[in-house]
Amino acid sequence: MEIDNDVAMQDATEEPLDPTLDEDASTVAPGASKTPEGSNASGIADHRSSKPLQLDSGNIGQLDQWIEHLSQCQVLSEEDVGRLCKMAVDVLQFEENVQPVNVPVTICGDVHGQFHDLMELFKIGGPCPDTNYLFMGDYVDRGYYSVETVSYLVAMKVRYPKRITILRGNHESRQITQVYGFYDECLRKYGSANVWKMFTDLFDYFPITALVDNKVFCLHGGLSPMIETVDQVRELNRIQEVPHEGPMCDLLWSDPDDRGGWGISPRGAGFTFGQDISEQFNHTNDLSLIARAHQLVMEGYAWSHQQSVVTIFSAPNYCYRCGNQAAIMEFDENHNRQFLQYDPSMRPGEPTVSRKTPDYFL
Amino acid sequence: MDRAVQQTDYDAFSCKISAINKKYLPCQKELEFCEMKGFSELHMAYVHRLKSLNKRAFGKVQRAVQSGLPLMNYGTYLRTVAIDVECKSFLQNAASNSKVQVLNLGCGSDLRMIYFLEQYPHLRWIDLDFAESVSLKAKILRTEEQLKKVVGELRDASETEYVSDRYFLKSCNLNNIEKVLELLTEITDPEVPTLIITECVLCYMDLPKSQALIHKLISLYKSGTWISYDPIGGDDVNDKFGSIMQTNLRESRQLELPTLMVFNSTKKYAQRFEEVSKSTEIETMWQYYVRQVTQEEKNRLKSLQFLDEIEELQLIFSHYVLLKSSW
Repeated sequence: MEIDNDVAMQDATEEPLDPTLDEDASTVAPGASKTPEGSNASGIADHRSSKPLQLDSGNIGQLDQWIEHLSQCQVLSEEDVGRLCKMAVDVLQFEENVQPVNVPVTICGDVHGQFHDLMELFKIGGPCPDTNYLFMGDYVDRGYYSVETVSYLVAMKVRYPKRITILRGNHESRQITQVYGFYDECLRKYGSANVWKMFTDLFDYFPITALVDNKVFCLHGGLSPMIETVDQVRELNRIQEVPHEGPMCDLLWSDPDDRGGWGISPRGAGFTFGQDISEQFNHTNDLSLIARAHQLVMEGYAWSHQQSVVTIFSAPNYCYRCGNQAAIMEFDENHNRQFLQYDPSMRPGEPTVSRKTPDYFL
Repeated sequence: MDRAVQQTDYDAFSCKISAINKKYLPCQKELEFCEMKGFSELHMAYVHRLKSLNKRAFGKVQRAVQSGLPLMNYGTYLRTVAIDVECKSFLQNAASNSKVQVLNLGCGSDLRMIYFLEQYPHLRWIDLDFAESVSLKAKILRTEEQLKKVVGELRDASETEYVSDRYFLKSCNLNNIEKVLELLTEITDPEVPTLIITECVLCYMDLPKSQALIHKLISLYKSGTWISYDPIGGDDVNDKFGSIMQTNLRESRQLELPTLMVFNSTKKYAQRFEEVSKSTEIETMWQYYVRQVTQEEKNRLKSLQFLDEIEELQLIFSHYVLLKSSW
C-alpha cells in the first residue's frame, strides 16, 4: 500500500517535531491516526465496581476460553479486550500500592512482548496457577507480540487473582508505548488505537510495588530520594499515567549503581542509587532484599550492592538480537532463593520467512 | 546474494532520513566544522525523487521514519557524524595539495559528495556501487536540480551512471577486483592523496575478496587514508551477538556476513589493515559515543527522543567499529 508521507517529510525540514509522535502511521489501517485523539478515555473504567470482581462459573468459563485462545498466540477481539480490561479494573483497583504477596512465589522481570519466551518461562517455572508468580512490569514494547503477551497476563491475573501479581513497569505508559512499539502493534493488529487506549487506561490501575512475606520489596525500577519507607509508597496516588518525575516515576525508572548516594540517571528519568542507599532502605524497612527488573543483564539476573539488590530480566535474546539469557527467581517458604535461567524458545509456528528482521545498522 | 547486499543501501538511507526527521542530524559538527549546508533540504529533495522512482525503497524510508526507534537514530547519528568528520579532516589536511580524491566504495544513496564537492574545487569524488544502486542514484541526480547543480553537468550521455568533471558515479561490483582496478586506474590518479570510505561494505564480502580489495587499493595509491565502518561479531566466548546477527540476517534477508566472526574484535579488524598500512586507529561506536560526543551534545540527543535504556545501546554499539588507517 502506498501512503503519502509528504506531511512528515515537510515537518522534518520546517519545524521541530513532537518528541514522540509526528506523522500518520496508517500503514495498515486506513484512517487510523498515529496521534491518539486527545484524552478521550476507552471507557473501561467508567463503571467501576465498589467491590472486587467475583468469579463465577460464567466468567470463569469466559476467561478460560480467552486464556486458551491467547495461549495459541492469537489476539482477542476488540470487544473481548474491552470486557477483559473492565474485569481487570475491578480486580486491580482493589490491590495496594505495595501489594502483599505470600511465599512461595516465582519472581520475574521484563517480558517485552516476547510471547513465546513467556510460554517458555511458564514451562521452566511451572504452570500458573500451580506456581505463584510475581511479574515486575514491562510486558509490552520491543517484542512483536505485546498485545498477546499483555492480554494473556491480564487474563491470568483476572482468572487467578491470588496466584499472580502483575506490577507496572515504565513501559506500561501511554507515552513510552508510542515510541517503543505497543501503540503501532495495536494499530497494526486491530486497525485502530482502541485496544491501545483500553490497555493503557488499565495500566493506571496496576500496583507499583509488592512486598513478599514482608521481606522482599519488589518493583520495576528502584528507589526514590523522596521515599524512605514502604509506608510512604502506600500513601502515593498511583492511579494515573506514569509521571515524568517524582516518587512514582522513580520507582519505575531508577537503577542501582556502583557509585554511592543518588546520581543522575543516564536514562531520561529516575535516579541511580548506591549501596549506602539500598542498605539504609532495607534496614529502615526491615527488608532482606530489593528485587527489581528494568535492566538488561546478560545472565538473566545480577546481584548488586552486596546482595541488597537483585536485577531479574526475563526476556531471553532481548529484541531478538542481544544474545542474553533470561532468568526467574524462585523464593520459597524458608526464604531460600533459586535462579532458573533459560534461553529463547524455538518460536514454534512462526514461519521463518515472514519473520521481521531485528534492527541492525546495515 | 548481490541483491541482498545492494538492498542494504535502502536500510542505511532510511535510517539516515529517520535521524534527520527526528533532528539528530545534522549536528553542530556537521554544520560548522564540516560546513554541510542544506543538509536536511538536500536529503529531503532526494527522498522526494526517490518516491516517484522506487516505491519499494521509498516504502522503507517511510517505515523507518514511522518507527524511528531511538537506538537506531543514535547509531545512525554516530556513524554518519563520525565519517563526515573524518572526511572533512582528511580534506582539510590535504587541501594544501592542489588535488585530492575520495573513493566511496559501496556508496549507495549516500550524499556526502554533495557537500564536499562544493567546498573543495580540486576534489574529485568517485562513488562506486552495484548497477541498481548507481542507476537509481544517477537518475535522481539527473532530475533534481539542487543536486545536479553541485555535482556538475553530465559529461556523457550515459543513462545509468553519472559522470561530470569532478564527480564519477560508476557501477562496479567490488568483488571483481580486476574490474575495480581497471576502472580506478582510468578515472583516478595514484599520485593524488586518496580517501577511501567503506561504510558497511567489507562485512558483506568474503574474506579473500575483501582482503584483496584492501591490499590492492592501498598499494595502488601512493598515500591515503581508509575509513571503514562495520559490525564485529564479538570475541568473548559468551558473546552471542555476532552469531545471532548472522542467523537473523541470513534467515530474514538472505544476507551473509562472511567475516563477522573472523574479524570479531577491534584488534582483529584492525589487523586486516595493519599488514599493509602505516598507522591504524580503531574504536567501537560505544567508545566513540563515550569519548567523542560531548556532554552538551549527549544532552541534546537525549532531548530529541526518550531513550529508555543504556545497556542495550552499549551492547549494540560495542559491536560496530570505526577504523581509520593511513599509509
